[in-house]
Amino acid sequence: MDHLVASLADGLLLGFVYGLAAMGLTIIFGVMDVVNLAHGPLIALGMFGILLLAGASGAGLHPYVALIVVAFIGLAFGFIIYFIAVHRILEAPHLSSLLSTFSINMMIIGVGTAVFTTSPQNVEFSLGSVQIGSVTLLGTRLVAALIALSVTGLLYLFLYRTPPGKAIRAVANNRAAAELMGIPATQTLALSFGIGSMLAMLSGGLIATFFSFNILSGGIYELKSFVIVVLGGLGNPTGALLGGLILGAIEGIVPTFMPVSWVPVIEFLLFVIIMVVRPSGLLGER
Amino acid sequence: MTTVMEVNGIASGYGEVQILWNVSLKLEKGKLTSLVGSNGVGKTTLLKTIMGLVKPWQGNVVFHGKDITGLAPHTKASQGLVLVPEGRQLFTDMSVYENLEMGAFSKRSKANFHQNLEKVYDMFPRLKERASQKTGTLSGGEQQMVAVARGLMSEPDVLMIDELSLGLAPFLVLDLFEILRRLRKEGLTMLLVEQNVQMALAVSDYAYVVADGRVEIEGPSNEVAANAKVREAYLGI
Repeated sequence: MDHLVASLADGLLLGFVYGLAAMGLTIIFGVMDVVNLAHGPLIALGMFGILLLAGASGAGLHPYVALIVVAFIGLAFGFIIYFIAVHRILEAPHLSSLLSTFSINMMIIGVGTAVFTTSPQNVEFSLGSVQIGSVTLLGTRLVAALIALSVTGLLYLFLYRTPPGKAIRAVANNRAAAELMGIPATQTLALSFGIGSMLAMLSGGLIATFFSFNILSGGIYELKSFVIVVLGGLGNPTGALLGGLILGAIEGIVPTFMPVSWVPVIEFLLFVIIMVVRPSGLLGER
Repeated sequence: MTTVMEVNGIASGYGEVQILWNVSLKLEKGKLTSLVGSNGVGKTTLLKTIMGLVKPWQGNVVFHGKDITGLAPHTKASQGLVLVPEGRQLFTDMSVYENLEMGAFSKRSKANFHQNLEKVYDMFPRLKERASQKTGTLSGGEQQMVAVARGLMSEPDVLMIDELSLGLAPFLVLDLFEILRRLRKEGLTMLLVEQNVQMALAVSDYAYVVADGRVEIEGPSNEVAANAKVREAYLGI
C-alpha cells in the first residue's frame, strides 16, 4: 500500500511537468490551429540548455537560474520558428503546417545529433529527498512540480489579466475581428508560438534535473503531450494540466503491478478510448 | 465641411472575380453616410477593401488627408478607422467586458477607457448587466449591441457599420437606429451599410446606392429617397 502511494505521488509530481509540456502544444494549437511537430526537439533543447548552463562541464549556473535563461531562449526560438516556418502557411491546409514544423523537428534533431551525439547525458544535480509519512519524495521532482504549477498559474494570470494575454485569447477566438479592433494579429501569433515553445523548453529543463536524456528524448515527451492534449481537450490549458496528472498517475501506478514496458500501451489505449468516447477531451466543449 | 475619409476609384474582388468597379465615396465630418443596395452587390467587399482585409486592385483610401490604402487592418483601426463587421464577429469565448476591452486595445482608446465604458454602458444598459457573461451566450440583439459598443470603445474617427439590422427583430432595429441618431448628434462620422434601404435613407445625411459593384446614384438622402428609380427598385413604392 505504502509503495502504491509513493509511486502515485511520484507519478503525480511528474504529471505536473508533463502537463506543462502539453500546455505548450495546446496553446499553439488553440491559437493558430497548428500542430507543432517541433515540440519534442524543443523539449530536448530545454534539456540541453540546462546541461550546457548548469551541467558538470557547463557554464556553472545553478540549474534553476539556468531554467530562467532557458525560458527566454525558448521564447526567442519560438519567434524564430514562427516567422521561418509557420507564418506563411497559416492559411494553408493542415498538411503544410505538419510538414513545415516536422522539417524544423528534423533540423533540430540533425544539428543536435551532430553537435551532442546521441549518447545519454545527465545533469548531476540533487536536492536530496523529503520524507512525508512513509512516502519519500525526490527533492528535484518536488521542486519541478512546484515550478510547473507556478508557471501554470503565471500563464493563467498572463492570459486572463494582461492586455497581451487577452489579445492572444481574442486572436485565438476570431483573428479577423482582432485585426479590426487594432490588435496586431501577426505579433500576437508569434508571441503565442514563443510561449508554446517556452513551455516546451521549460518542461525539458525540469525533466533534465532528474532524468538522463539525449537529443532524441524529446520525442517520448512529445508523444505524451499528444496523449495529454487529447485527454484534456485540444486548446485547453487546464485540460492539459489535468491530462498531465492523469498520465503521471498512470506512470506511477502501472509499474507497481505490471512491467514498465506496459506503460505506453496503457497510455495509448487511453488515448484511443478517449478519441472514440469523447473526442473533444475531458474538459473540451461539446 | 471637411472630408474625413475619401475612397477613390476602388476596384477589387476575390481571385479572378471582380466585385467592385471604380467605386468612389466621401465621408464628411460629423455626417452619417449610408451605402445601400441589395444583397450581393459588393457593399461588404467595399468595407473589407477599405479596411485592407481585401486588397484593392485599383484606387486608394485617403483618411485624414493621408493615403492609408496599404496599411494593415490593425494599423487602420488604431488610427481611428473602425469597422463593426457583418455577422458581429464577437470574441464569443470572452465576456462582454473583455470584448469591450479588446475594442479599446489601441493606445488612443486605452487612455479614455473608463470614460468610454461609462458612455457605452449608458447607451446600452443591458451590457452593463451582462458584463461578465460570455458573448457567445447572448441573444442576437445583445450581440449586435456588443459589436457596436466594442466599435465605439475604439474611439473611432470614422465608424463603419456593416448590416446593423440584419437578422434582428424590428423593435431592436428601431432601438439601434435610435442609437445611430444619438451618435450622429454627438458628431461621430459614420458610414452605414444597409440592405434596409428605407431605414438607412431615413437616418442618414447622404447616401450612395450601389448596384452591380458600381455606385449608381448618390446624393443627399432625402433626394435619393425621392428618386423614382430608387423608389421603384428599393422602396417598393
